[in-house]
This record gives sequence, structure tokens and C-alpha cells, in this order.
Amino acid sequence: MNKAFAPALADFAPAPARQKMDTISRPSLSYWQDAWQRLKINKRALVSLYLVLGLLIFTLLGPILWNYDPALQDLDSISQAPSFSTTALFVDDPGIWEGVLLQESSTLPPVTGQSAVLGATRLNIEGTATTQYVRLSWEPVEGGAYYLVYRNDHQPESAEDLGLPLGQTLTARELSFEDRLQLQPQTYYYTIIASGGLREASDFATEAVELERAITVSQALERNLPATPGTRVELSAHPFGTDYLGRDLLARTMMGAQVSLFIGIAAPFIFVLLGVIYGGVSGYFGGKIDLLMMRFAEFVIALPFLLFMILFRIGFGIGPGESGIFPMLVALVLLSWPNVARIVRGQVLQLREEAFVQAARLLGANPAYLIFRHMIPNTMGLILVTLTFAIPMAIFTEAFLSFIGMGVAPPTPSWGSMSNEGIRSMLSTPHELLFPAFFISVTVLAFNLLGDGLRDALDSRMRSRE
Amino acid sequence: MTSVNQYALEVNNLAVEFTTYGGTVKAVRDVSFKLRKGTTLAIVGESGCGKSVTVQSLMGLIPMPPGKITSGSALLDGEEILGLKTERLNQYRGKRLGMIFQDAMSALNPTMTIGNQIAETLIVHRAMDKKTAWVEVLELLALTQISEPARRARQYPFEFSGGMLQRVMIAMSLACKPDVLIADEPTTALDVTIQAQILNLLRNLQEKQGLSIILITHDLGVVARMAHDVAVMYAGQIVETGSVDDIFYRSSHPYTVGLKEAMPSNKTVEQELRVIAGSPPDLFAPPEGCGFYARCMYAMKVCEKNSPPIFGNHHGARCWLHHANAPAHILQQSLKDPTN
Amino acid sequence: MTLYILKRLAIGIVTIWFIATATFIAMHLVPGNPLANEKATTEVIRANLERRYGLDKPVTEQYIIYMGNMLRGDFGIAFSEENRSVNDIIREHFPVSATLGVLALLFATLGGVLWGALTAIYRNRWPDYVIMFFVILGISVPSFVFAALSQWLILNLNQVTGSSILPVAGWGNFRYMLVPALVLGMSTMAYLTRMMRSSMLEVSNTDYIRTARAKGLSTTRIFIFHQLRNAILPVITVLGPAIAIITTGGFVVESVFAIPGLGRYFVQAVAQLDYTVIMGTTVFFGAFLVLMVILVDILYSFIDPRIRLQAEQ
Ligand SMILES: Nc1ncnc2c1ncn2[C@@H]1O[C@H](COP(=O)(O)OP(=O)(O)OP(=O)(O)O)[C@@H](O)[C@H]1O
Ligand code: SF4
Ligand SMILES: [Mg+2]
Repeated sequence: MNKAFAPALADFAPAPARQKMDTISRPSLSYWQDAWQRLKINKRALVSLYLVLGLLIFTLLGPILWNYDPALQDLDSISQAPSFSTTALFVDDPGIWEGVLLQESSTLPPVTGQSAVLGATRLNIEGTATTQYVRLSWEPVEGGAYYLVYRNDHQPESAEDLGLPLGQTLTARELSFEDRLQLQPQTYYYTIIASGGLREASDFATEAVELERAITVSQALERNLPATPGTRVELSAHPFGTDYLGRDLLARTMMGAQVSLFIGIAAPFIFVLLGVIYGGVSGYFGGKIDLLMMRFAEFVIALPFLLFMILFRIGFGIGPGESGIFPMLVALVLLSWPNVARIVRGQVLQLREEAFVQAARLLGANPAYLIFRHMIPNTMGLILVTLTFAIPMAIFTEAFLSFIGMGVAPPTPSWGSMSNEGIRSMLSTPHELLFPAFFISVTVLAFNLLGDGLRDALDSRMRSRE
Repeated sequence: MTSVNQYALEVNNLAVEFTTYGGTVKAVRDVSFKLRKGTTLAIVGESGCGKSVTVQSLMGLIPMPPGKITSGSALLDGEEILGLKTERLNQYRGKRLGMIFQDAMSALNPTMTIGNQIAETLIVHRAMDKKTAWVEVLELLALTQISEPARRARQYPFEFSGGMLQRVMIAMSLACKPDVLIADEPTTALDVTIQAQILNLLRNLQEKQGLSIILITHDLGVVARMAHDVAVMYAGQIVETGSVDDIFYRSSHPYTVGLKEAMPSNKTVEQELRVIAGSPPDLFAPPEGCGFYARCMYAMKVCEKNSPPIFGNHHGARCWLHHANAPAHILQQSLKDPTN
Repeated sequence: MTLYILKRLAIGIVTIWFIATATFIAMHLVPGNPLANEKATTEVIRANLERRYGLDKPVTEQYIIYMGNMLRGDFGIAFSEENRSVNDIIREHFPVSATLGVLALLFATLGGVLWGALTAIYRNRWPDYVIMFFVILGISVPSFVFAALSQWLILNLNQVTGSSILPVAGWGNFRYMLVPALVLGMSTMAYLTRMMRSSMLEVSNTDYIRTARAKGLSTTRIFIFHQLRNAILPVITVLGPAIAIITTGGFVVESVFAIPGLGRYFVQAVAQLDYTVIMGTTVFFGAFLVLMVILVDILYSFIDPRIRLQAEQ
């Protein structure tokens, strides 16, 4: 019509036999192959699948690669920020330091009271400054009645910047101070101010002191390290830092992963299985049995979940400070199956009406065969999706209960109990909370996204639900 | 012709595509038809041939994306309505162009009373206040033969039966006295007696209000009963147009012939019901030549690679058999079919 | 309608009875009767306990006494404090939890509906992506992390501005409530947003929205009168579970923010093994949640005409 086309006479000869148009050109894929193809297109789901695999490797292989006792306490390196390798200096046991006193013979500079301007003092470090001790001494100041010692993390700009003093000397004769208070391998700024009693000097001396990590000979002996004072030794690294008892957080996170993922995966597996059986039976038989079974399931759903989790724990006689992994598992299973049962029942009810099931039934297949051979396999996709969504739910429950002290209790690490311990020092050493919390979040996220992806891939009809 | 348009609606060279993951679906390809004023044009064809897409693109109801109107024009009483912005289009649809759908239950808002759903149109298009609108609503419900309109108007869709809902749909689409009513399979979901009632209602309304109707259906029985003109669609194209007599007694396209043969009411008990073998082509990659080539008994070499133009004017057929060079005996054979 | 409500209430009462009984059984399963053990700090308390719970009587009789008390709305007496009844504790601490919970719920539902609607309107454009990013965060990050982070933020904010804009912890006027309520409602809001989004998208693909467009209604009108109302319905059905999540979530948030609510008290009671308080508050919380779910169901039946009609028949 549009383009000028003038067919020749020969074109009007009958056409040859045409092949059937409805032969399927695409290769036919099984349900699972097809689902896998579709999952692979979904980038988010694929990434989350890798995340889940990564988490499993972290949990199972991690402790082999990172062979560090998660329960080993090291009170010399508590609440350490993440660090890789550290060396420490062996030092003799500190002993008692005499300090520096002004000679008896020399006269004390006169105390001039408020009128005098008190000059700066010169600050010396005695010996090596290590995390064991820092020993300071200084020149006497005219008019000083005693001295105030300040320690800061930064160079103080003015007297107001100093904050509260670390300590003070009792008399003007004491010209030294030993600091052994929670020393970390970092740079401190020590400041000495002479005080005339009522007024303090506006001038002051500040010295930056870099501390080296050190362990004493007796500490080394405790840890079976060969000790020669003055030598250095490689100390274990803490990639995730340490907690408030100096335990290695990486090792604890791995061990916690085992606990959290065990609860998070074992419980859903069991209750999904239970739900599948219950829902399958209920849906298959239908009628009165179904009505009764579903009434009961609805009843269990109506129970306040977390309160019952706590009741179960108390019923098992588990006090505070004790780990109730097993009761938690039991409670999770007993309280969570009904949702799965409802979903499976709905699916089975639908399947019951399908032709192939009807046919099998007419052929005299027995119920167990029908349920397990026909219905469950056809419900598998839905079950898998339900399972994937149940896992983050269980992990969250574990974290929640352990966090409020109702689940896994210290010293057993789980991500929840570690968060519980970590949140206490959240403001000073956030890494103690952030590492376990990060793992909870990533796990929950990964399983949720994987669940979304699976749901979309397995059945596009399921997508509209939610 | 006088200055008054002869046609209520004139569609030319309409083409619609959908972009999907699997590729581009050419759902409607070069469709043209004319709806004479005060008459009914039936569009028939197999499921998936593009009937709904055709009329929905006129109403601006194609979801975009994935849909796209790639070409064409549609003149409603001489005014272009295709590809208008929503605000402009809203001056036509619901007001001068009404539409009813197949599944009335899902086509009505489940949480709004029937009365409010009808009144809404009046309030929006005819600037009525709620009270006057409701008076009109009751009249409309009475017009479409719904008993107890006052009580019914206050009910929700799920309290109605399917046939009643279709009447409600009709009342709603006629609220603003449109010139053209598009009915997309209005009776497919209904049983035969209700179907007859609805069709009668539509015919009465057409006579009373001078309505022009586009009626989409699979059912040639409905076509015979309602239509003045017919357009037969196949694989996104109109393959034959003509008056109802042209189509039924002088079909000139092999597909139309096949369609008629597949119609049960045309057969006596002994005659076997012949279905057209094969299935429509994949619209992702429509065939280069005639869309019916793979299933056509009379196919010729030319049909494979060359899309046939429409032969004929008032009664047109998109088939090479009507070409002057085509062997006349085959044409005769195709037309000699028992149903013709 | 009244029949429907009565039926729901009857089922609710059975559930509450079950909760009370389960609590009783749990308490009696504890090895070494906790009610009789030496933890009762003083003689006075011990005597009170015996009188109140009939500890010298057989278990069945104890159960009857206990149920009788519960029926009268008497949740018992505290274990570790003299002359403190659980009712007193509830009266003192529950209003705090309720205030916080209502704020959190309000914030979660309003936020959920608003953000959900926005994501649906801006589907696959940047506002959608941004909101959905936060939704994913809200769903995967535990509330105690939000609590800790927000405290840290408040501290820094106060430090930077040099004034205390918001309190870090404690309870008092609205300034104290704001952040804990946000934290408490966060995950629920994330869930509701997600739900609202998919519900909006589902509704926008329905036939009746197509009909509304065919009627020539403006986009705004369709959005408000047809889409929003139908999309909100599924969100309302999950308000019951949402209330449960917010109530129990309060245990964490109240603890972290040192808010003197019933949830924090409950957690402390469990830590101190104050069994009678645990018993009383568990039954109270259980009854509260069951009633809330019923309330939401009844509310829903008023909003959705389909349910209303079914209920009437
Ligand atoms: N939103 C869409 N996205 C992709 N493809 C679409 C969409 N809507 C319609 N199509 C395609 O357009 C083609 C025509 O569909 P249409 O609904 O117009 O058929 P129909 O003739 O009305 O069939 P029926 O008789 O079943 O209603 C179909 O092949 C369908 O796959
Ligand atoms: S053009 Fe050719 S293939 Fe197509 S209908 Fe006509 S004869 Fe058949
Ligand atoms: Mg259609």
C-alpha cells in the first residue's frame, strides 16, 4: 500500500508448506533452572547471595584462619581500637619510683601568695615512656606551694583547655609524678602548673610524650613469652579491636556468628518444616480438620511473641546471666510455625483443585504420597521464600532478646550479647558496638534482599502479595 | 459533504508498541477505521490481537512506559485526540468519549459507593454540586434499569451482581451524554440472558441518544446482532472491514472465513466445528509479509515477504488474493466457502 | 456488627486467659518455687506474698487465687520492694510507655504512608531510590544501634552548638520524647513504607484506576479519592502487629534512653528475678496487645466496607 511494490505473476504461485509456527524456539527450562536464570538477572539478589555465602565462610572457616581464643582476656589491652600488627617493649616490672624531691638543704622558693607571677617549669621524662608508666619531673618554681599535673590528648591552647588535673603533688618539695592511669600507646600532652595556693600560674609547660606499648616481664611470663627486658616482641593483632575485657573482637564476632546464625538458621529450618507438615495436612484434608487446625494456628499467632519468648526462658529456669540458646530455639519454633502453616495450607488448598492432583487422587494415590510427592514439591518455591524471610526475623529476635539480657548471656558471645556489652561504652569506644551491629545488619539485609529476589524469581504472581 | 462530520470517530494509521524485557511488542500496526455517527462498529478478533490496546490508546489509557503510540491520528468529530496531554485529554474522555470494560467488578472502585462513583463524573465534567449530581445519578440508574436506585446508589460494588455492575458501568459512562461509547467486551463475563439484556439496553440507548458505539467482542453472534459495520483484527492489524453483511455474506479474507467457521452457532450438529490451525504470530517479531501467512490455506509465495495492502474501499481486505495478478480460481475457492 | 465485636472480644478473652495461665505455669516450672524462695528480701514481703498468692496451699488452689486476682484486675505485688503492688507500678510507669508508644506509632504510620506514597509517585526516580535506601537501613539495622547512634549524634550536636538542644536521656517534656519516639518507630515506619509502596503500585495497576482515568478525572483527584484510600487499607491491617512491635521495642529504647517506662521496669524485673512483677506485667502487656489487635480489627471493619458488610451478615 505504502511502498510501490508490483508483484510479478510468478509471485502468486502457491506457497510451499510452512513449518508449524507454534514450535517452541526457546529451550525449555525446568522450574528451578528458570528461577535461577531470573535470579541471576536480579543484581541485588545476586549480591545478597554472595553476601550470605561470605557470611557462612566467615562463620565456618573464619575461626580456622583466625585462630585466636575468643575468651582470652588481656587486661593490658582493653577496648582497643582496631589495629593490625603491634609490637611491645619488654620492660622490667616497674617497682616503686622514689620520685624526685627537692634537696633538704636547698631552700624552698618563698611562697609569695597571690602577688607573684609563677613562671613556667621545665618538664623531663625519666626513663622511657611506655604504657606501663610515664614518669615526669620538673624544675621547682618560685612560689609554688604544690603542682598540678594535667594530661590531654591534644596540645592545650590555654589554661581553660586543660580540663581537670590528672593529679597533684602534696608539697612543693615533690617535683615528680608517676602516671599509670589507663595508658594507651599514643601521644599525650602533659602539663605541669605550679600553684601558689590561691592562684595558679598562667604560664605552664607542656610536653608531648609518645608512649610505647610495653609489657612487663612478669606479664610476659604469664603469657609464656620469652622475655629479655629491652627487646621488642610482636603482639597479636586485633583487626576488630578488643572489648572491655581485652578479648579479641574478631574472634568473638566469628564465634558470635556461629551462635547467632545457628539460632537464626536452625530455628527457621525446624519451624518451617513443622509449618509445612501442619499446613500440608490441614490443607490436604480440609473441612473440619482444617478448620480446627487453623483455629489453633490462629490462636498461637495471637500470642504476644516476645513476651512468650521471655516466659519460655523463665519456665526453663534460666536466670539472668545464663545463656538460654536451647530454650530460645524451642520458643522460636513453638511460636513461629503457624505463619508458615497458613501459607502452605493456602497453597495446598489451591493445588488440591488442580487437575494433576485430582487425577492422582482418582487413581487411588494415598494421602501421604499425594502430599509429599505432589503438593510439597509444588510448594517448594514458596517454602524457600518463607524460609529466607524467616532467617532475618530469627536473627533479629536473638539480637533483641540478648540485647535486653533475655537471650544469650556473656561470656558466650552472640551478636546480640556483644551489642549489649558494646553499647555501654558506645561513646568512648564505638567499635565494640559497631562490629556486632554491623554484622547483624548485613546478615538481615542480605537475607531480606535474597528473599525478595527469590520471590520475584520463583513466582511473579507472588510479587503482588507482600 | 456538509460541514458536519460524517464520522463520529476516525482513526488513521495507529501503531502502538510496548517495550518489555523480551523485546518490543508491536501490539497495533497501522490500524485505520471510521465510526459513522449513530452506528455501531464492532471490532472482532482472537485474544491478544490488539483490540483492547487499540481502543485504550484512543482513551489515553495505555501505560506509558512500557507503551508508546508510535504513529497515527484519531479524530473525534474532527478534533485530534491522540497524544494529548492528560489535562487536555480529560476534556474529552468521560465527557465526549465514554468507555466500559469487560470485568465490571474489578473496574469499579471497591471502597466507594456506586452513587459517588457516578456522581464524580458529573461533578468533574458538568460542574454540578453533589446534590444535583445525585439527582442525576438516580435518573441514570433508572435509565439503565436498575431497580430501587436510591438504595442501590448507596451500596458498594461487591453488593451487586455482575450484570448489575455492567449496567452501573454503562450509567457511569453515559453520565455526560458522550458522542462515542467504547465497549470493550461488555458482556463476555456474563451469562446469556444477562448478556441479551445488556445488549438490548445498549441498543435502546443508542436509538434514544444517537450514540455511536465501538463494540469489541469475540462473539460473532453479538456482532450480527449489534453492529452496522465490522472491523476484523488479526495480529495487530485490521485485516478486513465492511458492513455487517459484507463480513458475514461476502467475507473476502481467509482469516474472516476461518473465524466464521469456528463459530458454533453457524453449524448444524453434523457439521464439524473447524478451528483455525496454529496460533497467531509472535508480536515481538511480526512477520515481514502477511500476518496470517503461517496459517493460511491459500497462501502464495508473495505473502511470505510482502505485507499485503488493503484492497477495496468500503469493503476492504488486507489480502494478496485480491491483487489483479492473483489466480482468480483460488479467490473464488476461498469465497465459495460454505458459510459465505 | 455488635455480634462481630462480641465474637472478637470473646476470642480475645480466651487468649488473655491462656496468656495468664501460661505465665502461671512458667512461674511454677522454675526450679525451686521462686515465689517461696529466699529472694524475697524481708519477712514482711514474704508474709505478704504468702497471703496474696496462697503459697502454703496446693498449686490448684494457688491457680484459682491467681486467676481470681487477675479477674479483679489485681496484678499482684512486687517481690523486691515492700508494699509495692504491681498495679501501682503499672499505674506509674505505663503512661510513660504509652505516651512514647503512641508518638512512635503516629510517627511510624504517618511517615510510612507519606514516604510510601512518595516512592510510588516517584517510582524509579531518585526520591524513590533515596527513600528505599533508608527503608532498607530501617529494616536491617537493629533499633539499639539507632538508639546508640542518635545519642551520639545528640551529644555531638550539643557539643558543637554549645547548648543542650536535646537531652541525651531521661524523661520529661516533649524534647525528651522526640528522639526516643523516632528511634522506636523507625523500623515500623520502614516496614510500613515498603508496604505502602507496593500497595500503591498494586492499586495503580488496577482496573478501577484505569476506569477513573477513562472518566477523565484529574491525576490529583484519582490519587486522593481512589488510589490513596485503597492503598492505605492493607497498611491498617498490620497496625495490630505494629503496635506489638512498638510495645516490645520499647523495652530496648526505654532501657537505652533511661526512660522510666514499664518496658524498662520489666527488663529490670527480669534481670532481678522479681517473679511477681514479671508475672503481673507479662499478663498486663499480653492483655494490652490482644485488646489492641482487636481494636485495630474493629477499626478496620469500619473503614473497609467489604469487611463491614461481611461482619454484619
Ligand atoms: N502493558 C503491556 N505490556 C506489554 N505488552 C502488552 C501490554 N498490554 C498489551 N500488551 C500486548 O499487546 C497485545 C494485544 O493485547 P490486547 O489486550 O489488546 O488484546 P485483545 O485483543 O484485547 O485480547 P483479549 O480478547 O484477550 O482482550 C498482546 O499480545 C499483549 O501481549
Ligand atoms: S495475504 Fe496471502 S497469506 Fe495472507 S491471508 Fe491473503 S492469501 Fe493468506
Ligand atoms: Mg481485550
